[in-house]
Amino acid sequence: MGSLLSRYRNLTLLLLLLLAQLILVAYQVRTDRDVRLLRVWAVSAVKPPARLLAAASSSAAGLARTATDLWDLRRENRRLAEELDRLKIQNRELRAELGTAERAQALAAFQARTPSQTVAARVIGTSPVIDSRVLLVDRGSSSGVQPGMAVMNADGIVGRITASYPTASQVLLITDKRFAAGVIGGISKAEGTVRGFTRDLCRIDYLQNEEKVQVGEWFYTSGDDRLFPRGLPVGQVRSAAPGRTFQDVVLAPSGLSRGLEEVLIVVQGVHQAVPAAEASAPPAPLLPPPPPADEGSPEATEQARPLGAPVTDADRLLDRYRRTAEEQKRPYGDNVPPKETPAAVKPAPAPPAPAKP
Amino acid sequence: MNLPPEQPERPQTPKGPLRRDDVKFAAARIALFQYAIVAVFLFLISGFWDLQVRNPGFYYEQAERNRIKALPIPAPRGKILDREGRVIVDNHSSFSLMLLRENLKLEEVRPVAEGLGLPYEEVIARLKRFSGQPRYRPVTIKDELSRGDLAFIEAHRGSPEFPEMELIHAQRRLYPRSGLASHLIGYVGEVSEAELNTVEFVRKNQGDVIGKAGVERQYNDILTGVDGQRQVVVDVQGNERQVIGLKEAIPGKPLRLTIDLDLQAVAELSMEGRKGAVVALDPRNGEVLAMVSQPGFDPSKFTGGIRSHDWQELVANPDKPLLNRAIQGQLAPGSTFKPIVALAALESGVIDDAFDARCPGGATFYGRYFKCHLKGGHGVVDLHRGIVQSCDVFFYTVGNRLGIDRIAEYAELVGLGRKTGIDLPQEQAGLVPSTQWKIRTTRQKWYAGETISVAIGQGALTVTPLQLAYAIGGLAMGGVWYTPHVVADPNRRDTPRRAAFNPDNLAKVIYGMYGVVNEGGTGARARIQGVELCGKTGTSQLASNEALRALGTSEALKDNAWFVGFAPREFPEIAVVALVEGGLHGSTAAAPVVRDLVKTYFDKKASRQPYPMLAREHSPEQGQTQ
Repeated sequence: MGSLLSRYRNLTLLLLLLLAQLILVAYQVRTDRDVRLLRVWAVSAVKPPARLLAAASSSAAGLARTATDLWDLRRENRRLAEELDRLKIQNRELRAELGTAERAQALAAFQARTPSQTVAARVIGTSPVIDSRVLLVDRGSSSGVQPGMAVMNADGIVGRITASYPTASQVLLITDKRFAAGVIGGISKAEGTVRGFTRDLCRIDYLQNEEKVQVGEWFYTSGDDRLFPRGLPVGQVRSAAPGRTFQDVVLAPSGLSRGLEEVLIVVQGVHQAVPAAEASAPPAPLLPPPPPADEGSPEATEQARPLGAPVTDADRLLDRYRRTAEEQKRPYGDNVPPKETPAAVKPAPAPPAPAKP
Repeated sequence: MNLPPEQPERPQTPKGPLRRDDVKFAAARIALFQYAIVAVFLFLISGFWDLQVRNPGFYYEQAERNRIKALPIPAPRGKILDREGRVIVDNHSSFSLMLLRENLKLEEVRPVAEGLGLPYEEVIARLKRFSGQPRYRPVTIKDELSRGDLAFIEAHRGSPEFPEMELIHAQRRLYPRSGLASHLIGYVGEVSEAELNTVEFVRKNQGDVIGKAGVERQYNDILTGVDGQRQVVVDVQGNERQVIGLKEAIPGKPLRLTIDLDLQAVAELSMEGRKGAVVALDPRNGEVLAMVSQPGFDPSKFTGGIRSHDWQELVANPDKPLLNRAIQGQLAPGSTFKPIVALAALESGVIDDAFDARCPGGATFYGRYFKCHLKGGHGVVDLHRGIVQSCDVFFYTVGNRLGIDRIAEYAELVGLGRKTGIDLPQEQAGLVPSTQWKIRTTRQKWYAGETISVAIGQGALTVTPLQLAYAIGGLAMGGVWYTPHVVADPNRRDTPRRAAFNPDNLAKVIYGMYGVVNEGGTGARARIQGVELCGKTGTSQLASNEALRALGTSEALKDNAWFVGFAPREFPEIAVVALVEGGLHGSTAAAPVVRDLVKTYFDKKASRQPYPMLAREHSPEQGQTQ
């Protein structure tokens, strides 16, 4: 059989092909399709790999597209970040410019309404020493600036001139430990001395424990130091606590709260009244002493009294007896003080005269 | 191989100056630089020479002086307390300004003086006063610094225009604001040159604080502590770097007075705005319970060194506010002297129980008519009525019978005419006239007519309020006088002075004084319900009627009003004298003062409440009010 097939291999093959064609034709007739079976087969045979190829191709394209998008996104992100940084810087610059403009405007307005004669100056340098809080400003002796003059801005006092050169001056800031100035509370009327404490804060010395200083109270220059005109804002009390001898009062200086670029140097100070409430805007060699407070007022009493002068038991007792007599409207000893005290005389040698009982 | 002949180098034509000039220019620059170097070195060598050879001592001294600073720590003085331990004089926290003199230039003093409101000349004079002291010892130029002063000093410390200043924290005197008991307490101040030369203050130094008057002076040694010292290392700028020595101050001892603050307060209020004095004593032991002199002064003005205008104001005041009238005011006692005259007459037998005198409103003695204070006269007056009604004619008659020397004898016996010995400085003795006294002082004999005035507490007779309280208190005690004193010392053992009076005679006089207050007498305004207050009014003239007529009505010549009293009648516990200068009538001006003081005493004793209610126990209709 095998040799027969191999002998008639071509014929056999032909017959087989014909048979297969007949079967396929029959099948196509039976199935009544318009598409040729061969094509169907071809399509069926090609479709899976084609699909795979298409899927792979689509995936590859998507991947490539995603990668491209990511790249672009990253680049865009970087660009946006740079843009944001730039805008931030620009914003800061604009705000700084606005702040400068506001400060300059406030300073100009303050300079216009303060009765003290002032000279505007720009800060041109700071001290490199850590403990020292010193500034250099661009006005000096040629502008009439002298050591001891007060330095301030619209928010409050800043410091005082410690040295003046022809075109520049050195300013000792209020927060320097060597700085001191007389201050008075706007509400409590407690008087003390403000000194530099930490880099941003001051303390007030010589305030009695009995004095009611409250957190948030404004303090103003008292004028007693003869450097700062009376009535300039100094700052607000940050904390107040009883101490061993005096109160421990920490103050946040208002003059340094918005930075320092421009300041005013008081070349001729004029004392002003101390505001009773919050500071708004106030008022060289030695200034004249501040005007005395109204006689009899608590402020005047406080000014006149030596530091730390409480009262003795004797004072308290006398006051209580006095109140008792006043309440009863019966003066002790039937004593109704005369309107005028008679002048004293030396007891003259009395010649004979009748005695009265 | 032939080489081409070497071409000689062609000199290049210089574009600028010639080469020779270049060399010269460079050499000149080098020489100039060398000269500059030499000059710099010469300058440095001259400085070195000045430092090391010429003035090494000066610079060494400067460095050493700046290295260590010695600062005094003033010792607080002892507190002054009342008999119950209540604080009359305290100490308070205070700052003083000292100038360090080692590098002091006088021109630097002016801004300090100006800033602190001190006269420049005074500060300079003060510094000169200390010129004899070592220069390392700082000089205090102002005590009792105000907050304004502190602000000024702190603001200018370290400024090159100002001298080196040091703040000293010390305990300074805190006196009653009202000047309460100012004369009794006294005041402190810096020791003066004259005082430094006395034995009492020989160990003091210029600038030391001492008691100047009153208790502060009398008990200065007790009240004064021992000053300490603090040695510190300072840097070039004067900042303290290290404490190398500390000697703590030793405070002075507290001093307890016999004063009762309740009585003192009542006495002060009774005399407020008046001129005069009040003294309250415990006759059983001599303790002074209250002592007031008005007008007073503010002792705190002295603590920081009194300002010249304040001092001038005090010394120029015609009312003499620095005079302690209680122990230094010497005035005619007026009718308050009559009980002593009465006792003298009884004791010497000049009068007896049956003695009486007729008062028609006046009487003539030695050719001169002496009026009684009651124009219509008292009629027939015996001893009791004489005291109760304070009849002048009765005492003219008794005094005339006694004679001046017998009056003087008894006056001195009860303690008049000499210092009581109270533990206060500058007590005055008063004056009891006598024939011997007149001869001694005026070289003239005593005229009997003068006795008539003395018999009613006028004439040359003068007493201090303390003396009168002491004398009458001793009589009330039956002739026992304890030395008055103001400091309570539990170890004090006084031997009283005694006089042997007839108790009946004393009882008669005391009964008369009882009647003055309680039987419608001249002191009826002093009556207190439930308290047997005995007393005597007095109104002393400052000039004769003739003089008054000539001078016209003058505030300055108004009569002084006196009242002296004690209570209870038996076993007295308190004796009080009130003097109101220009008060016109003892009955109206002085008696109510004594009344309220005595009432306070007994109210407090009864209830132990320190704030007695006031009550007027008298009615104006009672007795004579003149």
